[in-house]
Amino acid sequence: MDGKRHPSSFQQLEKLGEGTYATVFKGRNRQTGELVALKEIHLDSEEGTPSTAIREISLMKELKHENIVALHDVIHTENKLMLVFEYMDGDLKRYMDTQGDRGALKPMVIKSFMYQLLKGIDFCHKNRVLHRDLKPQNLLINSKGSLKLGDFGLARAFGIPVNTFSNEVVTLWYRAPDVLLGSRTYNTSIDIWSAGCIMAEMFTGRPLFPGTTNEDQIVRIFRIMGTPTERTWPGLTSFPEYKTTWQMYATQNLSSILSQIDHAGIDLISRMLQLRPELRISAHDALQHHWFNDLMPQQPQQQQHHQQQQPMMQPHRGYQQTVPSQQNYESY
Amino acid sequence: MPPVSDIDPRAKYNACSSLTQSPQKTRITRAVTNENDENSTAATTRMTRAKAATLNVDELAMPTKALQSKKIVAAAAAAPARKRAALGDLSNVPKADAVADGKKPVTKAGLVSKAAHPSGIQKRTTTTARQPLATKPANNKAADTNRKGAGSISGTKRRVAATATVVKDEVVEEGEPVRKRIHAVVSETKVSAVDIEKKAKPETMEEALARKDAVPVQAFVEPAEHVYPKGVKNLDSEDIDDPLMVAEYATEIFEYLRDLECSSIPNPQYMSHQDDLEWKTRGILIDWLIEVHTRFHLLPETLFLAVNIIDRFLSEKVVQLDRLQLVGITAMFIASKYEEVLSPHIANFRHVADDGFSESEILSAERFILSTLNYDLSYPNPMNFLRRISKADNYDIQSRTIAKYLMEISLLDHRFMAYRPSHIAAGAMYLSRLILDRGEWNETIEYYAGFTEEEIEPVFQLMIDYLARPVVHEAFFKKYASKKFLKASILTRQWAKKNAQLYGVLNTELSLDQIS
Repeated sequence: MDGKRHPSSFQQLEKLGEGTYATVFKGRNRQTGELVALKEIHLDSEEGTPSTAIREISLMKELKHENIVALHDVIHTENKLMLVFEYMDGDLKRYMDTQGDRGALKPMVIKSFMYQLLKGIDFCHKNRVLHRDLKPQNLLINSKGSLKLGDFGLARAFGIPVNTFSNEVVTLWYRAPDVLLGSRTYNTSIDIWSAGCIMAEMFTGRPLFPGTTNEDQIVRIFRIMGTPTERTWPGLTSFPEYKTTWQMYATQNLSSILSQIDHAGIDLISRMLQLRPELRISAHDALQHHWFNDLMPQQPQQQQHHQQQQPMMQPHRGYQQTVPSQQNYESY
Repeated sequence: MPPVSDIDPRAKYNACSSLTQSPQKTRITRAVTNENDENSTAATTRMTRAKAATLNVDELAMPTKALQSKKIVAAAAAAPARKRAALGDLSNVPKADAVADGKKPVTKAGLVSKAAHPSGIQKRTTTTARQPLATKPANNKAADTNRKGAGSISGTKRRVAATATVVKDEVVEEGEPVRKRIHAVVSETKVSAVDIEKKAKPETMEEALARKDAVPVQAFVEPAEHVYPKGVKNLDSEDIDDPLMVAEYATEIFEYLRDLECSSIPNPQYMSHQDDLEWKTRGILIDWLIEVHTRFHLLPETLFLAVNIIDRFLSEKVVQLDRLQLVGITAMFIASKYEEVLSPHIANFRHVADDGFSESEILSAERFILSTLNYDLSYPNPMNFLRRISKADNYDIQSRTIAKYLMEISLLDHRFMAYRPSHIAAGAMYLSRLILDRGEWNETIEYYAGFTEEEIEPVFQLMIDYLARPVVHEAFFKKYASKKFLKASILTRQWAKKNAQLYGVLNTELSLDQIS
């Protein structure tokens, strides 16, 4: 990561995706032949290097983990910044669209992905980093069945106690209720809510709470999780977005809405989708959940071994052969 | 490379990668590092410069690449000759003169104080059309052995041939610790940019490890399975219901931060390779930045990060006096982007520096600083640790407020640079509780601070030393003289003047600037 390397060290291949402030290309290291993903960030001529890029680079340099996409290098030129990431074959959204049964994945694949997702989240949280934008598009997948967290553009380091942050975080559908209610003092639990939404989506193939506005999002959550009251959620009425006009919904039984999920899985997801942030399970504890018991033989081993053996990776074999070459890469 | 020349036209100072490769040097460095630990206190620059002199001498004896030789010759010529810089002049001029000097007084609200000096400097340089920059080469060669003030010794010190072993400085006051540590990092500044990537970083890590081993408390702080030492209360358990405390991760996060902080310590001797700057100059810059910080209503974290950026940058690059303010304001701009929810616009930064630099200058400085630091802004600032200790102090608002002031001393007084942020926080809280008579440093507070009384001693002594000396950083003093901050600066100064001797802090008549 010397920043002195020239952009020409990489052969630029096809465009993989375009985000709001960056374009991602597939690339090849001319020396090693290794495939990479090149994220080009256009430097704002007025305000300079975007704060998202500064945080993303600084944090990703710290976060070296098998479930977090690796940042290899940063190359800066006069008017752009190029981040060189490890190459991944696609993102979870595209994988569900192309490999799933109308978007739904097989239970053992979901279990593997959830485990890897929670491992990545746990590592971030241990290193005092909130991702703040977990969604299927930001989870990258390779042909070996590895899942890695990508796009740390909204991530930030937190202190204890957690400072107040912007509540303009997380794509609406995956945004935690406390953030929707205007909380600026959220913590690690906001990533867990997103993970719960992603888990449900992998089972059904459809987003769990596809809201259109902040208000609609809140209502969709309450319709399933039940409308909270000051009694069930002390402090609720002091949130900026608290409304006395909310319709009172009863709490639904998650196992009837998510009938695809087994008993243990329902237990885990209901611990992740707690309205009150303090009641949400931590990533660390979620990893110990008995739903993952049948994954345990792989757990103590390194990712490589885990991939070579692939006893639970059978569904991925098909994936390996059929991974489309073009993928959506906004997630880098 | 326009950004390079922008900040530092002479960025290619005497590059000598052989320095770090010298086996002798490596051995010495290690030996010193090992014998040293966190408890050895930072000392004077004089020592620093003596060290640098020894390094320079060795360095010149080393075979160098043809390409570099020219620069080294230049450096050799420049070494004994220290320019009497604009700032030096200015600092000797009474304030009234500076104003009468044809400059309009700095009129911006909140920025009228002695700390507006940097503006003054910058103004001067603008009016003289960056003259210092233009005349630099000539000045460099002009021997100026008559430098007055503390810095004058540096000229001679640079010529000290030497055993790189510990040189005892007679001038060091009693009670003021003797500098022992010599950082291999000094060499970072001498090696080429590429070599910095390859060699200097690992060495810093090595040092960090050595330091870690040397500090017994580490074993104590790392209870892998949450085994709390005898007498220590698990305070995180009471936070289980408070989401803001992230109780389930608190122990791991603090372990991680304590690892991380070792790698973000600047080279405490960097002034020895800055031909144009002095510690005093740095003090003036930081004092001014504290005003800017207050004026922009920024988070405390932003100020600490900004100063860390400045120091790590100056550890790696030589900066001209008339560019120092640009480095300062850009560091604050970068720190704001990293820490703040809403960072002030670049125009505010340009404006607060009296339009001395254009926005495009700030932007290219931003790129240059970020790439010099490899975009590494993961600095665990002392606020993190102070909050942790404060928890074991029942969040006593008074002791925390005083401690915050004491922690900020470490920003202005360069002698604190070698200490880790957690050590600074522990020292600040210790002294604050001492001044407020808050009782003993018990097991629980020691555990959450991560330092024993004995380990803290050199830090709080140095704080008392700063407090007992004449005030030199007026903006800083004024900020904390307000009721909002419980008049911390006045209170602590009174206490220090009365009690310094009691804690072995003597000879505090001279100001920090006079002894640096």
